[in-house]
Amino acid sequence: MRLPRRAFAFLAVFAAVTFPLLHPLNISDRVSPEAVKFKALIDSIPAGSVVMVSFDHEASTVAEVRPLATVLARHLFSRDVKIIGLSLFAEGTAIGNQVLSLVAEEYGKKYGQDWVFLGFRPQFQAAILGMGESITNVFPRDYYGKTTSELPLLKEVFNYSQIALVVSVADGDLGYAWVDYAYTRYHARVSAMLTAVMVASYMPLYASGQLSGLVNGLKGAADYERLLDKPGAAIRSMDAQSMAHAVILLLILGGNAAYWWGRKK
Amino acid sequence: MNTLIWLPAEKIPVLIAFLCVAAALLGVFLLKRKGKSFKIRALPGASAIEEAIGRATEMGKPVFFTSGTGEIDRMATLAALSVLGEVAYKTAQYGTPLFYPNNDPVVATVAQEVVSEAASKAGHPEAYKPENVFFVTKSQFGYTAHASGLMERLKPAATLYFGTFEGESLILAETGFAQGAIQIAATDSTIQLAFFLVACDYTLIGEELFAAGGSLSGDQEVLGSIVAQDWLKAAVILLLLVGAILATFTTFNLASRL
Amino acid sequence: MTRRLVFWITLSFGVFMLFQFFIPVVGGAYRKVLDWMQVIYLSSLLVGVIALGLQHLRKVSTLSSGWGYSLVTVAGLVAMPVAAFWGTGESSVFFWLFNNMQVPMQSTVFSLLAFFVASAAFRGFRARSLPAFLLLVSAAIVMLGRVPIGTKLYFDFPAWSQALLDIPSVAARRGILIGIGLGSVATSLRVILGIERGFFGRKV
Repeated sequence: MRLPRRAFAFLAVFAAVTFPLLHPLNISDRVSPEAVKFKALIDSIPAGSVVMVSFDHEASTVAEVRPLATVLARHLFSRDVKIIGLSLFAEGTAIGNQVLSLVAEEYGKKYGQDWVFLGFRPQFQAAILGMGESITNVFPRDYYGKTTSELPLLKEVFNYSQIALVVSVADGDLGYAWVDYAYTRYHARVSAMLTAVMVASYMPLYASGQLSGLVNGLKGAADYERLLDKPGAAIRSMDAQSMAHAVILLLILGGNAAYWWGRKK
Repeated sequence: MNTLIWLPAEKIPVLIAFLCVAAALLGVFLLKRKGKSFKIRALPGASAIEEAIGRATEMGKPVFFTSGTGEIDRMATLAALSVLGEVAYKTAQYGTPLFYPNNDPVVATVAQEVVSEAASKAGHPEAYKPENVFFVTKSQFGYTAHASGLMERLKPAATLYFGTFEGESLILAETGFAQGAIQIAATDSTIQLAFFLVACDYTLIGEELFAAGGSLSGDQEVLGSIVAQDWLKAAVILLLLVGAILATFTTFNLASRL
Repeated sequence: MTRRLVFWITLSFGVFMLFQFFIPVVGGAYRKVLDWMQVIYLSSLLVGVIALGLQHLRKVSTLSSGWGYSLVTVAGLVAMPVAAFWGTGESSVFFWLFNNMQVPMQSTVFSLLAFFVASAAFRGFRARSLPAFLLLVSAAIVMLGRVPIGTKLYFDFPAWSQALLDIPSVAARRGILIGIGLGSVATSLRVILGIERGFFGRKV
């Protein structure tokens, strides 16, 4: 049986991704200006303030979004900033809760006081708009079934007016929804941590200042880890991404060489 | 009375923009009432739909439609459903099976209604098969896996991607490409346009999606509103140019040098 | 009759939402609408899931083509809610199923993107003309600028890549977005005023 031409391309990508994961190459990198700006944004938030982190992604992108969310939670807890977590995608719920509870444990943070996880709400527009009026109305109970109005943190925070920053950890266009509804209607400060494939579509929002910060995929997470001096999963995965990009470029070059060779003949 | 209580100051520009759109729409309807008919340029992607359905009919293969991962409140989804109505009408006329797996339960319910009504209007109510227009899962890649698998099994001759797409766009379009289907895409998701342009035969860019339904049905009211949209676009371009010139003058203090 | 009813419901809710956006004095009613949006959505989700389950059960019971896939679907559809009855915490069966089945399966589908990008790039980035050549060069710069290996090859790739993303890419995207914005407003007005009727049936 003859393998189709694209099977060779698939095999090359597979090899390029797996090899560096098994044998790290430790290629050093330069930190991107977006990551520097994002870190400065978080540094500008006073201790004791509250940041809302929305896990707007599915299980499929966990390899890319978990490092993003983890490094953010570490930075926030290390500065004694409180976190309200939630998810507007059902599948982001378990991952979001897992990330926050692990990092909270690492920093000795107390549930209900330093952080809460509200869980999932469907119909994102209604949820985002509703939280502009009252968070406890949209989430009467948290992920663990506790009454939210009785949690100490949510006795001080009623809606976006008491939230210093909303961070959407997204693999799709839910970050746009936060800008459309929370920023435009309630003037909440919104920023996004995105999978790399989505970044280009968010650049107009970032350039216009509607998004106050943006972290770009695995590369952004690796930059953030470098800035915090806490090497983690993102830095380890960047070698694989490097090799995959290199292989795709070689395939493009190969495709062009074949095309020109064919034309000559 | 304080205006700010009734109409917050920051919403005044939005209100002005909205009134401009409403006025432009009203303008075209008045013109239509006076007997003016409207025409828009041909959209190759929209015109190719009939050709694609015809090809599927000749080959005895089905037509595959998807509106991606958009929910019902997205204008792109509503525009996709308008196109679906036309596609369902034609496939019912030609007796070609139409498959539309869906990512959202509300969209699925509306889509069933659209396809069923189009089949009835085409005089073939039996052409509507509820098992061919169905909800799969809300999960983006769960849906992608199902839709790609379905394409592999059905081997459709025409695949139509109309609506809001995210990461699933390239997986679906490449699977369709591998089946040798005629592929037509239309989306308001700017980032996915790049993928569709590579993998599809025809791609409708951005607002062309909103015009596709009108272009297919030839509905004068819809076409009129697309013309109104073009007037507004011309006004926006003019405003951008004026703004850019004024900003340049201010930045480089050119006024003082005149 | 139904068509008329749909028209009046669409018109009244459309006008109400527009009105409350500009003049926010009807907060109570607006909050009720938001609550009802969730209720309607969840009800339709339930209808969708039941319909999906029934459709696949029918396929299994009649052993029609592809019944094996349907059996897996039905098994999944039953297993997750049943497991959730015993809790959704990190030591629960539900979480185990989620972490060890759903996450890897979905990640696998997502990772197919890398392979499809490779094959699409191999086919799509052909320097057939000057614009196609420029597209190819831009893609190469952006790809190299986003990974450490690019910085190793040439120190300024990240800056070049950023400039391409910030200037021509944003400019083109804004142009498209303005068109989409206008198209969306015009389409929503068409829907509210009942001109765009495609979504509830073809006009003849």
